[in-house]
Amino acid sequence: MTGASPIPAAGAPALETRGLVAGYEPDLPIVRGVDLSVASGELLVLLGPNGAGKSTLVKAIAGVVPIHAGTVSIGGRDITALPAHRKIGAGLAFVPQTENIFATLSIQENLQIAAAVLPKARRAERIAAMYAQFPDLAVKPARLAGSLSGGQRQMLAIARALMVDPPVLILDEPSAGLSPKIVADVFSMLTEINRAGVTVVLVEQNVKAALAIASRAIILVEGRIGHEGAAQDLLDDPILARLYLGTGQAMEARRP
Amino acid sequence: MNPQFIMDGLVAGAMIGLGAIGVTLTYSILRFANFAHGEFLSWGAYLALAVSGALGFLATGLTRPIAPFSFGWSLPLALVIAIFLTGLLALVLDAVLFARLRSRGSAVIILVMASFGASLALRSLLEFLFTSKPAYYTKALQIAVRLGGGLRATPDQLLSLGVTVVVVVVIHLLLTRTEIGRSMRAVSENPALAGIAGIDVRRVIRFVWFIGAGLACIAGTMTGLLVQIRPYLGHDLLLPLFSAAILGGIGSVPGAMIAGLIVGLSEAGAVQLVGAEWRSAVSFVILVLVLLLRPRGLFGRPA
Repeated sequence: MTGASPIPAAGAPALETRGLVAGYEPDLPIVRGVDLSVASGELLVLLGPNGAGKSTLVKAIAGVVPIHAGTVSIGGRDITALPAHRKIGAGLAFVPQTENIFATLSIQENLQIAAAVLPKARRAERIAAMYAQFPDLAVKPARLAGSLSGGQRQMLAIARALMVDPPVLILDEPSAGLSPKIVADVFSMLTEINRAGVTVVLVEQNVKAALAIASRAIILVEGRIGHEGAAQDLLDDPILARLYLGTGQAMEARRP
Repeated sequence: MNPQFIMDGLVAGAMIGLGAIGVTLTYSILRFANFAHGEFLSWGAYLALAVSGALGFLATGLTRPIAPFSFGWSLPLALVIAIFLTGLLALVLDAVLFARLRSRGSAVIILVMASFGASLALRSLLEFLFTSKPAYYTKALQIAVRLGGGLRATPDQLLSLGVTVVVVVVIHLLLTRTEIGRSMRAVSENPALAGIAGIDVRRVIRFVWFIGAGLACIAGTMTGLLVQIRPYLGHDLLLPLFSAAILGGIGSVPGAMIAGLIVGLSEAGAVQLVGAEWRSAVSFVILVLVLLLRPRGLFGRPA
């Protein structure tokens, strides 16, 4: 796959944040100064205890949560000030955790909405490409998206995000609420998408499964980067695992 | 019982339905009950009157009635212009009032109260500009034609019914078959996701204001043509409009139209059965019953 958006500047990270401070209330930042740099082609997983700000970080990057300081750039282009609806055109696709499809619209209409960002000439071809990549959706395109199973919804949400052939795909807990079998399907699909050249950033609670497919992991603690390293090293490090990931011991207590 | 009430109810119901479509669209996208919507009907009627008067002044021939109707070409031409002007009025109102409140993240009740204020201001402004004396598009009288079955209707009434049917079909097709319609439904379901999916939510909101006010202008002008033009024209229809929008199910265009006809027919029936003084209670009773028994309305999606 090639990016639909401006060609990234040579050597610039696919996704970068500098000193990012974000949160719903200006005086109560949840993300407190995050410098994140994701190289093109990486599959990065964001981990951390509940309330660490993983979700808020990706939502801020996607333009859903207000940014109070710092910058976000895609392929070297600063997109901090772009409104949410322009970020997809800048090459950043985001799949929220819940309510990530239009349930009252049909499968076809969900895809048409995503395709509306593209030039008219490319729309039909991209929708056909999505049906080819997600054959489950092609069975009955007129079906209301709200009647799909959890796994199929996630497929549709991902297809919607991939419609513009984005260089960067960010997903907020795509495994939430899915059965282990479906989680495995979704994760193997994300691996495929990543292999095809899309930089993937993943927020996950499902630590082991996520680390198994990730190339690198970042652990957020209290709105800052607490640790970063190769996914395999994290899996092998018992102290880190216990401290941050709750493997081997109960997850760190939920923050108030 | 005189069956004529059916025709009266249909005509009144068509106007209510047309106005209710505007209410249901703006309600489902803007997510608050805009009590100034009635004022768009009144302003639409008066704007059509002013433009039609100006056209008649410029070219007297335009006021000559088009047989068998009571009005000349100046009125349909004025209606087209008035639709745009009323749409513009709604956009200005949104820009100076509601958009500011939205960007501040104001609660729904603040928006509703603001719409009350806007309604009062707009209505008073109309009274100031045009006085509260009733006005008419035309002085020509119309003879009702017999339709059989004891029903009679004036050509103007029949034309209004026809225009209503056309407008409802056009709006329904707009919502279901076009890109902007799809975007409207997406924003109505989930504005945050719509933004993420690349829809310019603010553009959709502006479009909905324009369409809602344009429909209000058509409904107001037809009411003005069939009854009379008064500054309270829209205000007095507000309760029936909201009853119809909620009975039809918020967001449903066919629902709003069918519910509008139900409200109109019920009102006309009530006049026959219990007396004219109960007419305005009918909408209220329907509204309360729907909210108690089936809050999502006839065609609304479950919450």
